[in-house]
Amino acid sequence: MPATSVRELERELNELRVASAEPGAAPRMRASVMTHIAWVPELWVEAATDTLAGLAERHPSRTILLFPLPEDQRDVLEGEVDYRCFVRGGEQREVCSEVITIRLCGKRAAAPASVVMPLLVSDLPVFLRWRGPLPFGAPELEQLVGVADRLVLDSREWPDSERDFGLLPGLFDRIAVSDIAWARIEHWRAAVADLWPRAAEASVLRVAGPKTEAKLLRAWLASRLRRRIELRLEPAGEVELVEVNGLDCHPLRVDVGTASDLLSDQLELYGRDRIYEEAVRSFSSQPS
Amino acid sequence: MTETIAAQNPLAEGLRMRRPPEPFALTIFGASGDLTQRKLMPALYSLAFRRLLPDRYGIVGVSRTEMTNDEFRRRMREAIVEHSRDELREDVWEELADSLCYVAADFGVEGGDQPLIDCLDELDETRGTAGNRVYYLAVPPKAFGSIVTALGRARSTKGWTRLIVEKPFGHDLASARGLNELVHQHFAEEEIYRIDHYLGKETVQNMLVLRFANGIFEPIWNRQFIDHVQITVAESLGVGGRGEFYEETGAMRDVVQNHVLQLVALTAMEPPIDFDAEAVRNEKVKVLRALHTPGPKHVVRGQFGPGFIEGEPVPGYREEPGVAPDSETETYVAAKLYVDNWRWADTPFYVRTGKRLPRRETTIAIQFKRAPHPPFEVEDGEGLRPNVLLIHIQPDEGVSLAVGAKVPGQGVSIRTVHMDFLYGGAFRVGLPEAYERLILDCLLGDATLFTRADEVEEQWALVDAMVAPWRRDRPHFPNYAAGTWGPHSADELLHRDGRSWRRH
Repeated sequence: MPATSVRELERELNELRVASAEPGAAPRMRASVMTHIAWVPELWVEAATDTLAGLAERHPSRTILLFPLPEDQRDVLEGEVDYRCFVRGGEQREVCSEVITIRLCGKRAAAPASVVMPLLVSDLPVFLRWRGPLPFGAPELEQLVGVADRLVLDSREWPDSERDFGLLPGLFDRIAVSDIAWARIEHWRAAVADLWPRAAEASVLRVAGPKTEAKLLRAWLASRLRRRIELRLEPAGEVELVEVNGLDCHPLRVDVGTASDLLSDQLELYGRDRIYEEAVRSFSSQPS
Repeated sequence: MTETIAAQNPLAEGLRMRRPPEPFALTIFGASGDLTQRKLMPALYSLAFRRLLPDRYGIVGVSRTEMTNDEFRRRMREAIVEHSRDELREDVWEELADSLCYVAADFGVEGGDQPLIDCLDELDETRGTAGNRVYYLAVPPKAFGSIVTALGRARSTKGWTRLIVEKPFGHDLASARGLNELVHQHFAEEEIYRIDHYLGKETVQNMLVLRFANGIFEPIWNRQFIDHVQITVAESLGVGGRGEFYEETGAMRDVVQNHVLQLVALTAMEPPIDFDAEAVRNEKVKVLRALHTPGPKHVVRGQFGPGFIEGEPVPGYREEPGVAPDSETETYVAAKLYVDNWRWADTPFYVRTGKRLPRRETTIAIQFKRAPHPPFEVEDGEGLRPNVLLIHIQPDEGVSLAVGAKVPGQGVSIRTVHMDFLYGGAFRVGLPEAYERLILDCLLGDATLFTRADEVEEQWALVDAMVAPWRRDRPHFPNYAAGTWGPHSADELLHRDGRSWRRH
């Protein structure tokens, strides 16, 4: 039977913790470096589950998975708790993280903060991973932004990136923002930076890659150089080529990593990324 | 540094990727030795695995053993398979193997260095190493002289040069000064990287973070609140195949002179003004200078006899291969040290190290003073024990704090519980090996975690003073059984002060 209240979830967590200490064995350690909230609409459940599978070991945390089901006829919450433990290499003790899965049915989907707030680990940062497009102005986003310290998004998941990048700066003063698409192009940004000082004269950027990443790269270059940059885009699944004024960029061979790796990297950041914010602000002002 | 780069290149601002080292040619002297196979090559592989090496580099193995390039590569591949923390990936290995070559050379003979010079010149041509040289001396100190002199004579006129020197750096103060003078004839101090691999360990560096990034510790990190400090560097192994080497060194020179004194310095140092190499080393050397020479009663030496480790019988030190049957070499040292300065006056630092102790463990235990007036009428149980902040350096890297807690139930029964922070529990898997960190730092020109000439000399000056009385009397060895925590006299060293070694 799923828990139907936060109090029940908390009681189940306590029971799990006690049960995990086997008689005669060293107690398992509960480790948390953050609370990690994931907002996962139905379309993204499978992708989110795959990503989270590789995450607990690297970032022991209390993970709260929120599955909004606003179409559900019942106005209830249903939840389960789980203890995910892993043995550290060469060490004898198991380290455990807590995963709380909550389905927010009906009207409950519009009030997620009241469910999440009692479950946050005190004094530790709160990361909010938002799958899919951001519903700017919607109560669920507004509430969770108010609760979290950092919002992690992936602008590649946005169907209308022009519109969303235009609205995103409205959040910058309220919450630090990480964009996984931005992380994917970091080694390309480093490669463009390596062209300095020749890159100072950049006016044309040629990119073979996904549209969002290409436009982000252009927006970044434009914001750093404070000038308009023409983008010549050749669509591709990942960024394969970048040229600045005809000069080839050679990134260090860096494996971009799995979705888990990319999210993991973002969970290590705390402060605002001013360079990203400037790039986003210049996104819409570039020639289309 | 970052701000300067960003001012020059606005595109570099905000990039989190670490600056890769410049192209280099790394020469390892002692390439057929144990250290190269167990530590250096696995560390280089792990750096390549994580893409932390630049596009252009070459690695030259040098020793007197005749070997082809292919044979050298085969041995290094085996070493990586056996000792690396990362699995062998063919693409990474191919890239590393391409950079590897081997030169059989005897620097003791006239012109013995020519094959290496030719090889390095060729690397500049073929692999674009730009005259940048790193020389790694993984050879016994007696071989340093001829190599350093030859390298000094043949210095590259292009690029930069760095020299990494393995411990032991000398065997006493006079020889350490002699070595410093020798290397200073050919290399500037900032080109010399003296390795103490303990400084490359995450927890050792975390000691600085723990102290200087947490507001709660520094105010109580002094004689007013700390009763004493215990530093333990324990090994369960014997001397293995290093009997002859160990006969010449012993525990004092092998471990106390470097690892133990570095741990004392890191524990006792004042906050540096920044994390720059000179600032950190200036503060460490002040502690070493402030160390009061302990009298003979405050230094205990021991040698293990036969005993048991993990249920297995093991021979005594004198029965180990390469060891004299009447050896007087110490395999155990304990000492009471005082740092004579304002912060630490009258606060003892008890240190101990030994071989064939019950388990492998390196810890720094900061024992705080007892609560001044416990208002409890304590029933059974442990009673009120002092708080201990325990810094685990190996094998389980982390920090724990022992605090007294009430046992649930009627009355006040108090038990000590540990609040643990296990490094592996809170952070990503796989701490880098110390050698990875240190080699990369050297390639980047960062000497913070390396020992400076004056530090080494201060360490030797203290060790010389500690061993001087040993010449006057013959020890009754062996005086502890393998698998125990050392001789009784080590316990007495603390009992005299009303203290005891930590329980294990």
